[in-house]
Amino acid sequence: MANITKKVSWSSRGDESGAAGEETPLLNGSEQSRPLRQMSSGSTVFQIGRLSTVDLDEEITTEEQDSARGRPKEIPHNEKLLSLKFESLDYDNIENQLFLEEERRMSFVAFRCLEISRWVICGLIGFLTGLIACFIDIAVEQLAGLKYKLIKENIVKFTEAGGLSISLLLWVALNSFCVMWGSIIVAFIEPIAAGSGIPQIKCFLNGVKVPRVVRLKTLVVKVVGVIFSVVGGLAVGKEGPMIHSGAVLAAGVSQGRSTSLKKDFKIFEYFRRDTEKRDFVSAGAAAGVSAAFGAPVAGGVLFSLEEGASFWNQMLTWRIFFASMISTFTLNFFLSIYHNKPGELSNPGLINFGRFESEAMEYNLYEIPLFIAMGAIGGGLGAFFNFLNYWLTIFRIRYVHRPCLQVMEAMLVAAVTATVAFIMIYFSTDCQPLGPDHTEEYPLQLFCADGEYNSMATAFFNTPERSVRSLFHNPTGTYNSLTLGLFTLTYFFLACWTYGLAVSAGVFIPSLLIGAAWGRLCGILLASTTSTVMWADPGKYALIGAAAQLGGIVRMTLSLTVIMVEATGNVTYGLPIMLVLMTAKIVGDYFQEGLYDLHIKLGSVPFLHWEAPATSHWLTAREVMSSPVTCLNRIEKVGTIVDTLSNTSTNHNGFPVVVQVSGDDEVLFDLATDKNAWCKILHSCI
Amino acid sequence: MSLHRYELGFLLIILNIYSLGLIDAVNVTASDSAANPLQAPSYQSHSSSAVYKPAVDSSYSINLLSSFPEDVEISEYCSEMLRLFGQRYVAYVNCLIPAARPVRVCQNCSPEYKSLSDVFLNISSDQMGPGNVSCRDSILRSDRLMLVFLLYGNLATIWEKSNCKQCVTTDLKGPNNDTLYYLTLLNQTITCFEKYKEGNHTELCKSCILPYKDLNDMYSGMEKNSTLCIDLEDSMNMTRKLWSKNFGCSYPHGETIPVIAVSSFMLFLPIIFYLSSFLHSEQKKRKLIHPKRAKSHNSLMNIQDKQS
Repeated sequence: MANITKKVSWSSRGDESGAAGEETPLLNGSEQSRPLRQMSSGSTVFQIGRLSTVDLDEEITTEEQDSARGRPKEIPHNEKLLSLKFESLDYDNIENQLFLEEERRMSFVAFRCLEISRWVICGLIGFLTGLIACFIDIAVEQLAGLKYKLIKENIVKFTEAGGLSISLLLWVALNSFCVMWGSIIVAFIEPIAAGSGIPQIKCFLNGVKVPRVVRLKTLVVKVVGVIFSVVGGLAVGKEGPMIHSGAVLAAGVSQGRSTSLKKDFKIFEYFRRDTEKRDFVSAGAAAGVSAAFGAPVAGGVLFSLEEGASFWNQMLTWRIFFASMISTFTLNFFLSIYHNKPGELSNPGLINFGRFESEAMEYNLYEIPLFIAMGAIGGGLGAFFNFLNYWLTIFRIRYVHRPCLQVMEAMLVAAVTATVAFIMIYFSTDCQPLGPDHTEEYPLQLFCADGEYNSMATAFFNTPERSVRSLFHNPTGTYNSLTLGLFTLTYFFLACWTYGLAVSAGVFIPSLLIGAAWGRLCGILLASTTSTVMWADPGKYALIGAAAQLGGIVRMTLSLTVIMVEATGNVTYGLPIMLVLMTAKIVGDYFQEGLYDLHIKLGSVPFLHWEAPATSHWLTAREVMSSPVTCLNRIEKVGTIVDTLSNTSTNHNGFPVVVQVSGDDEVLFDLATDKNAWCKILHSCI
Repeated sequence: MSLHRYELGFLLIILNIYSLGLIDAVNVTASDSAANPLQAPSYQSHSSSAVYKPAVDSSYSINLLSSFPEDVEISEYCSEMLRLFGQRYVAYVNCLIPAARPVRVCQNCSPEYKSLSDVFLNISSDQMGPGNVSCRDSILRSDRLMLVFLLYGNLATIWEKSNCKQCVTTDLKGPNNDTLYYLTLLNQTITCFEKYKEGNHTELCKSCILPYKDLNDMYSGMEKNSTLCIDLEDSMNMTRKLWSKNFGCSYPHGETIPVIAVSSFMLFLPIIFYLSSFLHSEQKKRKLIHPKRAKSHNSLMNIQDKQS
């Protein structure tokens, strides 16, 4: 019964036992405390309470050892640590005199105006998110087009004359150059912008104040970084960074001021509270999802509901939906202008899966068990992906922690991606005649006959979104099994290696691509085994495979189902996708956690799940409280307060204020919360 | 004598009544089976003479066609147009079929298409022909089938799909200058192929590369300008198939060795990087801080606390 909780031996600091109200020994500078303060700038972590049953004797011995050493242990990083630098957002309003007076002053009309301004802000958030998504899309298209054009001309020139290794070097150089810039800005300017951004936003919406995650500097670094990553040919997507950008925009716009620019626009001052900020950040994240996938319902309501907000109400739902709608509409509108077809609103999201026509893509009842099997495969592969990525991330945290090393690693990954792609294209003998509709932008002929094109190149020599589209929609016979098999294998390991680098990059599109590839492979194999029964398009199986793989990696069920349904524009596929995602989640959860949850754990963030860990309900508060309690008197010296606040081992945010009534009795007088306010006041005093 | 006259007249009247009765019967059945008062025009007769031979079935049905009064038939002018349309239609199709493989429809059959479309334009124009009739309604839109419209529509679609407009002159008389130049190049290439076909294919690959390359470049240029019609596409396709598949003259596989060397070097770099960072970097350690907890005694006491 008590096996999950092991009582740890407390290291006693004899100096800390002083009762409240006396001169705290800290100020006298007892030896043990100074090293603490010096190390407060580094990363200090708590070991989460692992209570163990030990005898009293053992306890004493350990105590002696600890007090003799007088220094905290150092251990290599693992996932069971929690970092002390995280604080929680303050959702409670500070109801002091000033606040109550201001509330009294507000009239009914003022409250109405507030309500309207909330809606206005949500609309503005949606609009700006759509604009940013538009900007990212256009920039990527232009730059990637330029890069592929250059490489293609080079390859064509060197195919006849020989010397294709020069093309390889050119491709490697271009990739590394782009990724170098993307990685430099992330590693040196704003490390919090690395990765997808979804784990950080999840933590923020859970109530953990992840520092610097919603700053303007983060936004700029993220947007520019994602453009460079995608243009640099890495196995990444731009959807995760889009969500993060939406959240940052929301936080910035709703507060009416910018910390990075050090400007205060003196508007929206009522909303400069963590409660309101959290609501707007939910709206921003939802607008980001909706712009990324063209899925306002999924983005608006379901993603935030599933991943984010811990407190939900109806008005918030409506406002979030409003923000998502505005976001996808803005994106659609501006992209249609860019494509010279103003008003033709056919690009609702950054990723466009294309429309699946109903007649060609019907599924039958006997295919449902097949889909479930594919879901199980997706779950297993996803768990494997997470497992590899977990160990890789631990290695990176422990050994590759200097910024220049991170930049070098990113450049190496880009180089290897280019090399692998080139080798696959070079040695592939799969040639297909190109149809008249020219779905490929940069068809590579290489060593094929005239009028035919290398079909491996259609998978590799493209941005990942286009590859996904062609896997979904290209007619039967465009890819053969060997091509797809090799592509799945190499891309799986490339994507696993790429996630976690110091670049801003998402993991949605690579997982969709891996899944689409092996899904299509399944479809082709099924069609070849039974020649009598008419199987439909392998594109359908590609869609199911993509959903299975994505579900296996990120383990989102509800929002992902609706995202896929909305992105493909076909509700017919709702049932199979839902079954597949549930199967993938069940199978994957048996082996390993979802990718974002793993990274949250590895980031040492104190994330609170919906429910307490199982079999921990019997724990009493006394067993997890600090003791002795750090309290303050009604009248206290500034030095005491400073020391209490700066003591890293008692990193509390609020302190009880006690009054000594008679003798030893102490009565709780008040609770002093909001450490930040105190720190600011003290800074101005000292 | 007057009695005979009256008898004859009476006989004639009876006969007329009888025939009129038949005509009426025929008319009634005809109008029952027809939705519109206007029926399909009769090709055979322009006059609407009544013929009374109801016994024979086939002739009955043929007679159905020619049994309408003057005002519901199409005019002479429109019938003439229709006949002309038929003639030109047959001429065009007779030109198309022999030119189907290898595709030469644009070069050979453009004049025929021009004359056919002229006739159709005439039929479908809004102008009134002689006699103040509009042929459009009577020929094109009088029945559910709309046969003439459908037939012409098919041919027009074929013309559009073949993209012939790109490689013939504006008056559709024949191929334009670009097409002629292309055809010259094509001719050169084919003659070159013919010359060296018998011997070693490598000989052919070496000698015919120049005309083939010119042809290819011209084709790529035209492809960029989108001035290609099906004739050119098909001829290029056949030539390419000959070149690559039959004669096997595609690009050589080049040097594989440098490519392999460069790629192995690239693939080796990360291993070196990770090994060196593992061995030389300082492992990042975390400093552990133990929280001060209440000195609760061992679990036995806890259990006792709970039970008491």
